[in-house]
Amino acid sequence: MIPAMGSRMNITGFFKYIFCIGLGCWMLYGCDQQGSDNSQSHSLQLQAWSHAGQAAERQVLQDQVRRFNQQAGKIHVELTFIPEQNYNAQVQAAALAGDLPDMLEFDGPYLYNYIWQGQLQPLDGLLPQSLVNDLLPSILAQGRYAGHLYSVGVFDSGLGLYARRSELQAIHARIPKAATDAWSIAEFNTILQQLAARHVQQHKPAAVLDLKLNYRDEWFTYGFSPILQSAGADLIERKNYQHSTGLLNSKAAVAALQNVQHWIQQGYVDPNLDDAAFTRGRVALCWVGHWAYADYHKAWGDDLLLLPLPDFGHGSRTGQGSWNWGISHSSDHAREAASFIHFLLRTDEVLLMTRANGAVPGTRSAVQASRLYGKSGPLRVFADQLLHGVSVPRPKTPAYPVITSEFQKAFAQLRNGADVQPALDRAAFRIDQDIRDNQGYKIVVHANGE
Amino acid sequence: MANKLQHQQHRIAWNFVLPAMLGLLAFVLVPFILAIILSFTNLRLGSPLPMEFVAFTQYQRIFSDTAFLHGLRNNALFALLVVPVQTGLALLLALLINQSLRGMVVFRTLFFMPVVFPLSLVAVIWVLLFAPGPEGSLNSLLQLVSFGAWQPRDFLHDASWALPAITLTSVWQGVGFQMVILLAALQGIPQELYEAARVDGASSPQQLLFITIPQLRNALIFVILVTTILAFRLFDQVQIMTQGGPQYATTTVMYEAVNAAFASQQVARAAAMTVVFFVIVLLLTLVQRYWLKHEKVIE
Amino acid sequence: MKRQQKIASLLVYGVLLLLAFIFVAPVAMMVVGSLKPDARVLQEAGSLSGLLPHTIEWQNYADVFARVPFINYLFNSLFISVSIVVCGLLVNSLAGYAFSRLQWKGRDALLLLVVSLMIIPLEAIAVPLFYEVTLLGWRNTYLVQIVPFIANAFSIYLFYSFFLGLPRELEEAARIDGAGPWRTFFYIVAPNARPVFASVAILTFLTQWGSFLWPLMVTSSESVRPLPLGIAAFYTLPPLQWGDIFAFGVMMVLPVLLVFILFQRWFVQGVASTGVKG
Repeated sequence: MIPAMGSRMNITGFFKYIFCIGLGCWMLYGCDQQGSDNSQSHSLQLQAWSHAGQAAERQVLQDQVRRFNQQAGKIHVELTFIPEQNYNAQVQAAALAGDLPDMLEFDGPYLYNYIWQGQLQPLDGLLPQSLVNDLLPSILAQGRYAGHLYSVGVFDSGLGLYARRSELQAIHARIPKAATDAWSIAEFNTILQQLAARHVQQHKPAAVLDLKLNYRDEWFTYGFSPILQSAGADLIERKNYQHSTGLLNSKAAVAALQNVQHWIQQGYVDPNLDDAAFTRGRVALCWVGHWAYADYHKAWGDDLLLLPLPDFGHGSRTGQGSWNWGISHSSDHAREAASFIHFLLRTDEVLLMTRANGAVPGTRSAVQASRLYGKSGPLRVFADQLLHGVSVPRPKTPAYPVITSEFQKAFAQLRNGADVQPALDRAAFRIDQDIRDNQGYKIVVHANGE
Repeated sequence: MANKLQHQQHRIAWNFVLPAMLGLLAFVLVPFILAIILSFTNLRLGSPLPMEFVAFTQYQRIFSDTAFLHGLRNNALFALLVVPVQTGLALLLALLINQSLRGMVVFRTLFFMPVVFPLSLVAVIWVLLFAPGPEGSLNSLLQLVSFGAWQPRDFLHDASWALPAITLTSVWQGVGFQMVILLAALQGIPQELYEAARVDGASSPQQLLFITIPQLRNALIFVILVTTILAFRLFDQVQIMTQGGPQYATTTVMYEAVNAAFASQQVARAAAMTVVFFVIVLLLTLVQRYWLKHEKVIE
Repeated sequence: MKRQQKIASLLVYGVLLLLAFIFVAPVAMMVVGSLKPDARVLQEAGSLSGLLPHTIEWQNYADVFARVPFINYLFNSLFISVSIVVCGLLVNSLAGYAFSRLQWKGRDALLLLVVSLMIIPLEAIAVPLFYEVTLLGWRNTYLVQIVPFIANAFSIYLFYSFFLGLPRELEEAARIDGAGPWRTFFYIVAPNARPVFASVAILTFLTQWGSFLWPLMVTSSESVRPLPLGIAAFYTLPPLQWGDIFAFGVMMVLPVLLVFILFQRWFVQGVASTGVKG
């Protein structure tokens, strides 16, 4: 008497469906296995990961991979783009699972934590000495750690103050020619004031400076920690990298960041939601890196100036460091992976990339040959900063992820008007605690696998 | 004979329940127990150092951490805001739609539509709506409605407006779900009750208060319970819209935990936070259910 | 009296329209924004033209397809979500039924456990679960995105609540006919429980469709990644291309919206029935 209803859920149909799903799962599971079992008999598959940057960058890299594969014969590189925003989280997850590709990029100083984890193998001896000698000192400094070279960057970064000549001339401001000539902080404050007054006179909002507050995460450390160094403070002591207290929350640091807070509170800073404050002409000054050059040049042509950051007391300081390539510890094909990195570092390849993203070329030969960064190039300032020590690397320590996380939090607070001293105190305390927790981040796993 | 039947039923019941239990055991219970154990260690993501047991250190630290304490406070505040607002609005919408007028299905669909959107997408859209300055959508709307009296605000960066802003986003996304539940419960109320009341001379507000709401008790309690639990899990909007700021005004326990685990790589600390979170919500749920049972007994 | 009623109706419509506007406006903004060039999206966000289309340009949609393998992502999302839903319906409904209708030792204790597990969000167990699946070698597959989510405490609870409220006569009749619990369930109970199956299906689908954190952690190749990770490709350094993001968003929501509109009645019925029995 069980009613034979027009039930859509009769057993046979149901189980058939489940069976198909299961089968499908298995098939796809099999097909989706990554790794070297996929390799064809005559070529060696290498996996490479890169951050998904701007369209032009991605295009160039894809092109480079294609050309490398064509001329490399036996070796075949497979490139995967990882979204930039969660790049480090994904690399970390893969690292934990032992799933890192043969070669991958690291975002600047995040490199050292991976070295400490034992995830990378050294590049010593894998690249020709002539190439190593040709690298910019900043690139070498970035890639060297614990006595070995672990990574090389194809390009480095530049950070400065873009300005419009006409605006500065209107208030008769002095125009600095080099980092040694930079505005003092007092001068800079006055200039901001004068520019703002002029705006108000013209019934425009008082915002005259763009600090890219619409950016996220790492920008704040990259863009604003040089202020600490310029003021005689720092994120952490650079001898042994053991503590931040006394430096990050020193009087000098507090004063310098209070100055920045003052700009925001006075309304001098544009919130920049449409990321076009400078290109649309709402502000006269923009504190940003090399990547903005292309757009700004298109918008303002000859009126565009590139100036060093203001001097907070101990000289104008600026940032450096960018994406760099390393070879994972688990890769069995270090030589071949290194040959790909070698390819990327050829002068013409470097120039192709830097032409696309506006960054500073990573080798001296490329810098010389560059239109933008060469002797009379408009962005020579960036190259000079890197070559002559005006730029300061972010702290070379495995503690970097915590340092940057804490600094970002502190900056986020002070930009909303919080008291600077307690914010920096807390950041310094948390950083020190983390370093203690990790026993000073001494290298435990050695490069040769001990 | 009875025992054999019982035994049979027992065996069959276990067959029914086994796949689900295995799944829950393997993928929810075991990781959670692992998390509890981890909260007593100093495990860090990827660290080459050996893991050590540190007893209650993690708990001591989080309870002396401003951010975490603010997270607890904000979770409570958010729940206190969202539950009445969302439930009240849902009730209002349900009452309105329950009228026998034309086109109610259209309205029902419209109000339910936001539920279909993933929270992360909702947050992204609302970031744009909350844009500061007179060009921002919400700001210009408020200016229009107040005839220019409204001063444009940066909602997401203002310590007093950030949490309400997130509440608004959450309510927008969640109200449809509750509305549908209450609507169906409304439609289940026997009409005789209302007729009897009308005969007795009861006015509309009186009918609402003394018939409708009591009849909706079960549905309301279910809705409140679920919303409270979900309110404590607040994470997506905070991550996308305010990143816990300004000055910890919007940070939540889950946000702090995820950040501790992934940004600072302190897995053990994050585990301690989630254990505390679990205990609090469990207590709250038990209290709510006890209150419900208590009421049932009275009835 | 009629006039009063008419005014009351107008009032109701008025309030509903106002509220409907508030609910629809953000969606309209997204749809309209997806049809505009990026620059104009931000510019017009504050004015009415943010809500009404001036021109219709499909460039953003073309961009999305050019930039990411959208169809791949779409397929992955569909495959994963549907698998979880289908397997979940089977597994969780059986459990819910056992809890509500069968007598067995340990039932009450286990039920309490299930209710407690409802509270635990994925974020709380993400890291230990990650270690677990890595040990199993499931990384970067469909399996790892499906299997952990089949058994679901909340779904079990919804089924349990619903089955409690089912009239016992049906099962009595089946028992008299000599049907065992399996046949009873599949031939009698389940067909009468369409609303709860529909609501659990849709709720599960909605949750899984938007899942981001877990796939981010456990996958790295585009062949298995779902839609939410695809949209992350657009979150590069500013300026954010809002037009593209919105186009992606529209396409991401469309399938779910369609399913919802088609199965509305069932779903509304299902969601409602679980709450009332609560």
